Amino acid sequence: MKRPSNRFVIMVLAVAAAAAVLLSVMSYLSATAAPLPNLAGIIASPFRSVSASVSETFRRWTGYFVGVDELREENEQLKKQIAEMEGTVRQAQADREENARLREVAQLREQRRDLHLESARVLVQDSSNWYSELTINKGTAQDITVGDCVVTETGDLLGVVTETGLNWATVRTILDSESSIGALVFRNGGSAMAQGDFALMGEGRLSLTYLGTEPDVVAGDLIVTSGLGGFYPSQLVIGYVEEVRTSDNGLAQYAVLKPEAETTGLVQVYVVTSFDIVD
Amino acid sequence: MLPKSYTVFKWAVYAIATLLLCALQSLVLNHIRVLGLSPFLYPVLPALVAMFEGSRPGAVFALVFGLYCDLLVPEPFPGFFALIFPAAAIAAAWVAERLTSRGLLCALIVSALGLLLTGALRLFVQLLSGGQYMGLMARMVVGEGMLTLPALLAAAPLYRTIYRRCGADY
Repeated sequence: MKRPSNRFVIMVLAVAAAAAVLLSVMSYLSATAAPLPNLAGIIASPFRSVSASVSETFRRWTGYFVGVDELREENEQLKKQIAEMEGTVRQAQADREENARLREVAQLREQRRDLHLESARVLVQDSSNWYSELTINKGTAQDITVGDCVVTETGDLLGVVTETGLNWATVRTILDSESSIGALVFRNGGSAMAQGDFALMGEGRLSLTYLGTEPDVVAGDLIVTSGLGGFYPSQLVIGYVEEVRTSDNGLAQYAVLKPEAETTGLVQVYVVTSFDIVD
Repeated sequence: MLPKSYTVFKWAVYAIATLLLCALQSLVLNHIRVLGLSPFLYPVLPALVAMFEGSRPGAVFALVFGLYCDLLVPEPFPGFFALIFPAAAIAAAWVAERLTSRGLLCALIVSALGLLLTGALRLFVQLLSGGQYMGLMARMVVGEGMLTLPALLAAAPLYRTIYRRCGADY
């Protein structure tokens, strides 16, 4: 075997460095994915689609044979939950009518909530241990842009679009350590920030920070998006508070959130391409 | 020296085998979770190819494969894999030259080296951007490596077969 000359080693590393610089410049200059990653995404799209189908079929097959007892138990729980929710819906119906009457009396604007959703299929999920990302099969051709929120079929926040190509987009989930979104504690309207945390990502959790000097957050609190600034829609469910902890320096408190959206085993998601919310 | 068409054929077979192993990563390994970690096969592949084929072809293969990963896999910065994979391949070939046989033990050592170098660059990037969670990340690098090494049982024999059928005995 030939021993590589120093010149060869330097040449290969120089080409690698040039490629790294080129990719960095291209991604910096382009608002959507740079041409090369865009092309790679387009070429990879059919293969990813086949891979996603195979994976889904395999999961469905194995699903037939495992967890029957769990499914029975879940079915019982869901029946109870439906019974409770029916009561809540009846109460909400009465409250809504009362609210409409009072708004009319007080001459307040009617609340409106329009989310325009684009359904998308998940092609790739979690390619490494260091990030929590998804690739979906819709992109700029379907008016999907960077910053669009992605939700599950039940409207729970899953993540935000970070990169778009012609027929694909990358979604950074709320668990990713670079994820950060304005949040509200639903019970008392307290504002905070739901942030991905590297230490919690492996456990499928995220943190709720900037709780203020006297935080009023308890386990079980529902956390939703604040919608402040108008970048993201308000009232999308992020998750529930699991516990409140004190930070390592002992100066501040933060809450550990269990996201309501399942971030594994996803098949279909919905991108909020535009929204019109009047609160 | 191998005829040009045969060399093209050999590298086409390597490319197909690598794509199969990438499919193994996305279809199987991505779904295996042990203590919140999954095996990560990509850094192992250029190291194994360099072990069999030597540093020059190995480094070029690693560069191309690194660019492929940069375009499709999340990374700390653009060009991360294109930068570290050739370095890992050259180091792997250097180590393989000094070992008598290129068996499973050699594959284990060069794979560990590939994973270690990739992890080290990741930690260095983290250090440059504030150095938070360094301990946790170091544990993750070790954990990821331990989980990935058993996957060598699929990758090493596949590359060895290609090396024997398409290269060494020609």
